[in-house]
Amino acid sequence: MTITKPMHRLRPTRGRRPSAEKMDSGPVWISIATIAVVLLLWEFIPQTGLINRVLFPTFTETLAGFVQLVTSGYWWDDLGKTMIAVAIAWTIGVTFGFTMGVVLGTSPFIRTAITPYAIAVQALPKVVLAPLLIGWLGFGSESKIALAVIICFFPVWIDTMVGLALPAANEFKLMQSLKATRWQIFVKLQLPSAIPMIMVGVKHSLLLAFTGVLVAEILAASDGGLGKLAKEFASQLNMPLTYSVVGIVVILAVTLVSIADVVERRVVFWSEESRTRRRS
Amino acid sequence: MRTEAIAAVAVASSPQARRRRFSPYILTVAFAPLIYAIWWLATSTRFVSPILLPAPQAVWNSFPRVVFADGFGEQVLRTLSEIVGGFLLGATIGFALGMLLSSSSRLRAAYLPALSALEAIPTVILAPIIIAWVGFGVEGKIMQAALACFYAVFITTLSGLGLAEPNAVNLMRSLGASKWQTMTKLRIPTALPVIFGGLQLGATTAIIGAIVSEFIGSTGGLGYLMIRYRGSFDTAAYWVIIFFFLAIGLATYLLIWYIEKKVVFWRRTDITRPDLEKQ
Amino acid sequence: MTMTTQTSPLVQATGVTKRFGSGDKEMVALSGLNLEVREGEFLSLLGPSGCGKSTALNIMGGLLKATEGTVTFGGETITGPSRQIGMMFQQAVMFPWRTTLDNVLLPVEIFGESKKQYKAKAEELLNMVGISEFAGSYPWQLSGGMQQRAALCRVLLHDPKLLLLDEPFGALDEFTRETMNQELLRLQAYAGSTAVLVTHNIAEAVFMSDRIAVMSARPGRLVGIIEVPFDRPRRPALQTTNDFVKLVAEARQMLELQ
Repeated sequence: MTITKPMHRLRPTRGRRPSAEKMDSGPVWISIATIAVVLLLWEFIPQTGLINRVLFPTFTETLAGFVQLVTSGYWWDDLGKTMIAVAIAWTIGVTFGFTMGVVLGTSPFIRTAITPYAIAVQALPKVVLAPLLIGWLGFGSESKIALAVIICFFPVWIDTMVGLALPAANEFKLMQSLKATRWQIFVKLQLPSAIPMIMVGVKHSLLLAFTGVLVAEILAASDGGLGKLAKEFASQLNMPLTYSVVGIVVILAVTLVSIADVVERRVVFWSEESRTRRRS
Repeated sequence: MRTEAIAAVAVASSPQARRRRFSPYILTVAFAPLIYAIWWLATSTRFVSPILLPAPQAVWNSFPRVVFADGFGEQVLRTLSEIVGGFLLGATIGFALGMLLSSSSRLRAAYLPALSALEAIPTVILAPIIIAWVGFGVEGKIMQAALACFYAVFITTLSGLGLAEPNAVNLMRSLGASKWQTMTKLRIPTALPVIFGGLQLGATTAIIGAIVSEFIGSTGGLGYLMIRYRGSFDTAAYWVIIFFFLAIGLATYLLIWYIEKKVVFWRRTDITRPDLEKQ
Repeated sequence: MTMTTQTSPLVQATGVTKRFGSGDKEMVALSGLNLEVREGEFLSLLGPSGCGKSTALNIMGGLLKATEGTVTFGGETITGPSRQIGMMFQQAVMFPWRTTLDNVLLPVEIFGESKKQYKAKAEELLNMVGISEFAGSYPWQLSGGMQQRAALCRVLLHDPKLLLLDEPFGALDEFTRETMNQELLRLQAYAGSTAVLVTHNIAEAVFMSDRIAVMSARPGRLVGIIEVPFDRPRRPALQTTNDFVKLVAEARQMLELQ
């Protein structure tokens, strides 16, 4: 189900999904066979000596590392630091982005005027600020959060702005014919129309907040975190543990996105439904 | 993609804007000195720490010092080649994989769930591994940039190739067109506007991938220079390079936008933003 | 009419049934259709939405496979699309990256034949439908009616024996639609091809056809055939005659009797 979301993010609506009506067992076998082949290659190629065994440990060695990491428990602290930083940064970023979107998005005139600046902010890779922020705020969670906020507020801002502009002229005319106030138009028409779009931005910003925190941690976070952990293990060339940390980050990210997907579907139930109806 | 969305909205709102007595872009121009004034005020009152943001004059004055420093051109070239190399590599793999998966519903059912999980992965976490594998050289940066931009191109290619109207597909079938003919004459042209959206997004992420990788560890490039300037507390020089990255980002955006305009000359807003024209 | 009854059927559908899905979700789109299309005639498939008329058309065109039964074309069983059969759809389906002329020449390109050889014919056809000055324009620069004219040229380019028309003018406004119907009849007569039209518009079916196959929904099946005796070429004034109105009423009754 999550597969449809990224498409949706990159190119809203009108998406015809790969139809799932003809479910045969073929694909399942292809998946299982692929996983088996990959695991076998992973297990045996390092043993042949063709590649560096230190950099590419076998599957069982990596698995042992994973078990060791998970059972030892000392990484819980790092996990907590990363996730708390992500949560704080995401909350601030979404709030800030939404506010900016509303302030700048309700008037088409201002929207048009600031478009070039929005493009410039988009074009600037905001991670360039990372070393500066670390230098300024130190190695603690403040610099992580600051970087993550700067990186993650942008999609919420833009998607709010775009979303508020979505209602068609006729819908505005209807509201005006009812003598709706500006506030009523905003609350009853613009905001509900914008919510599907805003949810996409909010979801995207979750991933960006995660990325921002990891970047700061990998760059310089003496105060800990998963990014720092991965970097440390890698610099000791302890690859089983490095891969394990990366694996944990992957699992976390996929879980977060799946949760966000579920929440999104609950919140914007009408959007999905109306899309299906329009398609048939 | 986002910026296109903004541009689309700007276009959509232009009829209203046109009726006004003056263009909204007058406001755009008016913003520039305002931003400059805020910057100047914030730094001269020390409201913002000079470690973070130096005065505008200081940045301006540092330009020649940074640009004419020994080997600056080489560093720019190095970073540019990392970005371009990574982008080409990632976009090629993404496009090829998108084509492959779109050609078979079985492959799609088998691999798409795993591949779409890639969307969630912050590729930066792979940076330490890449450095362990290949060290601090250019190859690692190219790999990082390629990883960062692969997914956007892959998923836009895959979804774009599925966008052809059923009637258009039926037309091709009724003419007895081969799979390849349908692909080249219908599916790829239909997908192009969407793929360009993916390329635009992929270029942005490739730049980010290259910079982050340079920050984490490198022997050259603009990111390396930034780390050095920061080490010597030369924030003004650091900001000069930030402006270089702004220029690189904008130039990339405009370049892809221009190519898209030339290639996808038939494009109307409804192809990418159907929700804008809903009735 | 007397002329058409003499010839052997070009298309023969025998016991054609089409089911979509399986198990609980099974849907019978078409049930036991027996129908022949005679060489040179204009046949309409008339019925409400969901009566399987488009499905029947797609099976004749080789785009869908019948679950049961067979369809023959010129004596041979249809297994896939044929160059002898040309199809038109509800939309014009003009590729926006091709000029009108290139759109018309698309079939030739797909057949792997020389475009040069057909260029003159394409231009002649465009001229016949009155849009020759738009040959070099892109479809989005054309109105909906013009696009359908071009689509008409495209389908006639390689002289198909059979035209399968799936409500080709359904998306156009009433006035344009009437003009386009005239145009279609004129070009069909000129090309001498057989035509099967899918429509849910009774008057249109009566005006266009030699015979009307009336269909009903759920499951889709044939309920009767109406012979339309009017001479050709048909003029718009025909639609106000008593005989015409009577036939329309007959068709309506047949549709509502189900």
